[in-house]
Amino acid sequence: MSRTTATATRTLTFSQAIRQALHEEMERDDRVFVWGEDVAVYGGIYGATAGLLDRFGPRRVIDTPVSETMIVGAAVGAAITGLRPVAELQSSGYFGIAMDELYHKVARWRYMHGGVFTVPLVIRLPEGAKGAGPEHDVSPEALFLSASGAYVVIPSDPADALGLLKSSIRDDNPVLFFEHAGLYAHRGEVPSGDHLVPLGKAAVKRKGSDVTVIAWSRMVGESLRAAEQLAAEGTDVEVVDPRGLRPLDIDTILESVAKTGRVVIAHEAPKTGGAGGEIAAIIAEEALEYLESPIIRVASADVPIPQSRYLQQFLIPTAASVIEAVGRLD
Amino acid sequence: MAGLLCTDPGRRRGAGPEDSAVRCWVATNRVKTMTAIDSTKLLELYESMVTMKLWDQTALRLLQEGRVLAGYHSGRGQEAIPAGGVAPLRRDDYLMYAHRGFGYTIAKGMSMVAMFGDLMANTAGATGGLGAGIPHFADPELGILGQGGTLGSCFGIATGAAFSAKYRGTDQVVVCFFGDGTANRGAFHESVNAAAAWRLPVVWICENNGYAVSVPASDSIAGRIVDRAIGYGIPGVRIDGMDVTEVYRATCEAVARARAGEGPTLIEAMCHRFRGHYEGDPQVYRTPDETERLRALDPITNLADRLVAEGVVTEEQLAELASRVQRKVDQAVEEAASAPMPGPERLYEGLYV
Repeated sequence: MSRTTATATRTLTFSQAIRQALHEEMERDDRVFVWGEDVAVYGGIYGATAGLLDRFGPRRVIDTPVSETMIVGAAVGAAITGLRPVAELQSSGYFGIAMDELYHKVARWRYMHGGVFTVPLVIRLPEGAKGAGPEHDVSPEALFLSASGAYVVIPSDPADALGLLKSSIRDDNPVLFFEHAGLYAHRGEVPSGDHLVPLGKAAVKRKGSDVTVIAWSRMVGESLRAAEQLAAEGTDVEVVDPRGLRPLDIDTILESVAKTGRVVIAHEAPKTGGAGGEIAAIIAEEALEYLESPIIRVASADVPIPQSRYLQQFLIPTAASVIEAVGRLD
Repeated sequence: MAGLLCTDPGRRRGAGPEDSAVRCWVATNRVKTMTAIDSTKLLELYESMVTMKLWDQTALRLLQEGRVLAGYHSGRGQEAIPAGGVAPLRRDDYLMYAHRGFGYTIAKGMSMVAMFGDLMANTAGATGGLGAGIPHFADPELGILGQGGTLGSCFGIATGAAFSAKYRGTDQVVVCFFGDGTANRGAFHESVNAAAAWRLPVVWICENNGYAVSVPASDSIAGRIVDRAIGYGIPGVRIDGMDVTEVYRATCEAVARARAGEGPTLIEAMCHRFRGHYEGDPQVYRTPDETERLRALDPITNLADRLVAEGVVTEEQLAELASRVQRKVDQAVEEAASAPMPGPERLYEGLYV
């Protein structure tokens, strides 16, 4: 699934993998630049852009004003005039400040002008629960399901963070790139060399025959832990990570569903309006005859996310939530 | 450009108090006339405005005939701003145009056939049939970067294009047109601030026609738009937007500054729209008397009078010019009209690369 020019691996954190991707792509292509709030001198509040200023200088690594509308809108302006911006919104919770730009400009500028432009940009959107409160801790990827024209890419481990970000930067379509803030410190094996992961290709993170768990972002790791425990109890779980919502690799999902006949969809966003509903609908439309049990969604409850980490533990889904859901399948 | 920083402006003439519905602005201390305008340039600017006016009349006719499948925001009365504001640009300079009339893109050299095609929503259009009426056409070869329907999105894109020009080490300049209503969108602040902080080559041209759709500027704008330049530490100038020579001079100087790496300028061009915000606008917010009085301020007839009075041209030559332009417009309509409508497959083309 991933293309590498060498077989050796190294261990990187998720954050280091993002930084590595930026470094490699900026090294490769002078049109690539990085901007956002605190991304230059400070190196990004999650350290994902640390060291880039020293290496590439202030022309290509730019601290912006606190102006999300401008950050995204001007990235579109730069992209349609020959550059390849990688803009960071400090929190995906700021989507609302830049929503016109994200939804109408990033996604539609090419289409509505008759396809005369390409909009080759990446907007990096740190998401997910981390104890920062109801406005910062959101996972708003499903809001962009209807923003046709923009890709929605979501890595779940350091190797995918590296390979998907590199592919996103090289792609001529605009990419909304969601990074779970709770994953930044996670370590993982990453292939050496020019590691590219194709966009729109799901990863079967664990092969199994009894149940398909479709999960993305932080819930992939939780689902893999659940699968280990369930395996010990005799249930063989397949974990499919779509690696984003658009392009959506429906084939890999349906193939797995046809094999197992049982589906759990796990994401951190609240259940109502979450992308699990869309994927469940696709499965119902395309593969109902394979289902031996109703589809179960594992998600946050439909309440705002409290800032208190103590309360968050009762809200945010974990491996235990996946195990409980698998137990409820027929 | 000593003294250009927020030069004082405008004093009203003959139309009552400041909050009167009719605003007739005349700049008292005009921009310094460092830019010479010879008679050839004057005639070019005149022809540009005549083209816009005849285009507009033709668009209105097509609308009446039911051949335009969407609304249209007439640019009648405001021709001096696109004519004088686009003429100083090079082919490779960038244009963010406003929604009123098609004058900006006409002046930048866009194909009239493509624009009429977009009006008629057929495949001759630059968008290949996605039209219509309120344009989203673009031409990267001419630096025409398109337009957002959610007005105000021009600001961020202009800042980004100006950043791009500087990043790539070119001396390209961006000119961004917007109305007084759009100036109140938050994107204005974010984008003008960033462009000023980074000394980007962009010229912001506000067309203040006194109304945001129906709401008078006096009810919705605190202070003067031009004075916002002080806050951003950039030159700002308020000019008579009904006088194409004034628009041309102010823009030439702002473009020269931008090209020289001296950063942005804010130009507030005071003007009047002769028709409603859109065709069919009942204009309950102003009196027929007001629209009637505006006719005396027509930037095209006023320049024509001046050209004749100064002996630059004769009435006959102006009439010839108008018929020549009308023929060009008519030919474009005819060519555009012969194109077929798109099929349903058009919906699915061009969304992704």
